[in-house]
Amino acid sequence: MLRFENVGLRYGSGPEVLRDVSFTLEPASFTFLTGASGAGKTTLLRLMILANPPTRGLITLFGHDLATSPRSAFPAIRRRIGVVFQDFRLLDHLSAFDNVALPLRLAGHKASAYAHDVEELLGWVGLGDRLDARPATLSGGEQQRVAIARAVVGRPDLLVADEPTGNVDAEIGQRLIRLFGELNRLGTTVLIATHDRSLIERGRAREMRLVDGRLVEMRTPKS
Amino acid sequence: MKRSPPASILPREAGAAPLDVVIGVMALLAALALGASLIADRAAQSWRAGLAGRMTVQVLPPEHGAAEPSLTDETNSALAILRATPGIIRAAPLSDAQAAKLVEPWLGSGAVVAALPLPRLIDVTLLPGTQVDIAALSAKLARAAPDSVLDDHSRWIARLGALADAVELCAYGILTLIAIATASTVAFATRAGLEAHHDIVALLHQMGARSGTIARAFERHYLISALAAAATGAGFAAALFIAAGGLEFAGVEPVPFLPPLVLKPWELAWLLAVPLGAGAIAWATARISVLAALRRIY
Repeated sequence: MLRFENVGLRYGSGPEVLRDVSFTLEPASFTFLTGASGAGKTTLLRLMILANPPTRGLITLFGHDLATSPRSAFPAIRRRIGVVFQDFRLLDHLSAFDNVALPLRLAGHKASAYAHDVEELLGWVGLGDRLDARPATLSGGEQQRVAIARAVVGRPDLLVADEPTGNVDAEIGQRLIRLFGELNRLGTTVLIATHDRSLIERGRAREMRLVDGRLVEMRTPKS
Repeated sequence: MKRSPPASILPREAGAAPLDVVIGVMALLAALALGASLIADRAAQSWRAGLAGRMTVQVLPPEHGAAEPSLTDETNSALAILRATPGIIRAAPLSDAQAAKLVEPWLGSGAVVAALPLPRLIDVTLLPGTQVDIAALSAKLARAAPDSVLDDHSRWIARLGALADAVELCAYGILTLIAIATASTVAFATRAGLEAHHDIVALLHQMGARSGTIARAFERHYLISALAAAATGAGFAAALFIAAGGLEFAGVEPVPFLPPLVLKPWELAWLLAVPLGAGAIAWATARISVLAALRRIY
């Protein structure tokens, strides 16, 4: 599914922010990525979602070696990834419904084909009565749920989420994790970057820990 | 519940208003320049056509005490020769009143002027497309009417032609400069708008949208914006030209020798080129800029 081999990244002529990172995410696995602020979690996520190229090392995603794959193959690869950004990145001029539907629209689906799925998903994340609300009128937690719904609406093969429960209360947080778990059971590989230890403990998933740009620990829960 | 069609991927944000105003104003100027060049072109053609195919014969009054033939006899002789010349379809003398009218702007209309020995003028019209042997005709006239002078307006036509060419050249030069300025403004404004939407480009790219899909969203957005803004500017220019035509009906005297600042309906249709051009520039700029921006993103 996803393999990093001795991956390193530096911005410009600065120091390496990721060093010799190697790991594999198996298909349909569920993994938490942890580490202190500045450890490189977001940078590592950006490499996974093809937002940046590594400065060294090899990344293989869905069987594609990204170093040798043509750029023209990247859009199709990216469409197989769902991303929950830490800053949500919702389009302010679109309603919650249109924001969630955006990946399907970009993939060429007709509105009549996806309208029911989008409404159902927004209902699942507790926003069934806010379909037409603009992001500016939603609370931080509601915006986060819209961002999550947008990331999962296309049933991605890989779901990458950066602090997806950072702005929601415990109950909604649990509900979102259940949503991720449901997707995972359906075959989606899930990777969640988080500081929330309680989430990790309850999640009973594999944990990768980053310290100063290095992957120092891979912990698999006891069954 | 039936949902309304999905909104455009790009917002009609407040920042678009200045862009529309700039494109509208530049389109107005471009349309005015285009209209002015059409009027200059028409005026130049009219000046040329007005003198081409015409000649004037002046029969000067005999010097005081000179022997006959008299002015009238010489005029009649000249008329006979002119009317017998192939290619001349009309030769008519101007009456004394018409001649006095011609000198009135310079000499006035008093009794003194009436007593002046004015030359007789014969207005000659040629069959369109006919060449008359001017030298031979002049020689014939000189024999029959020694005080006559044939003027085929060639010097005047040449000077007027040069003036018309200069006016046309200036008009097209100004039109070209305004077209370049309009194109640059539309391109610059479109690029500025794209900069403001860079985050959206990056997000769509991250979601796996193909470069062509993203470019099409921007092309359509800026094409419609530029078309609407430029159509408003060009429409305003057309209204000004139509209003200028109304001045004549309102009794405003036209300026002598200058053409009326009015466009004929088919000339007004040329103003459609302005919004179409602005739209094409915005479309191409948006496409080139978005594709260039996407090439810079991994």
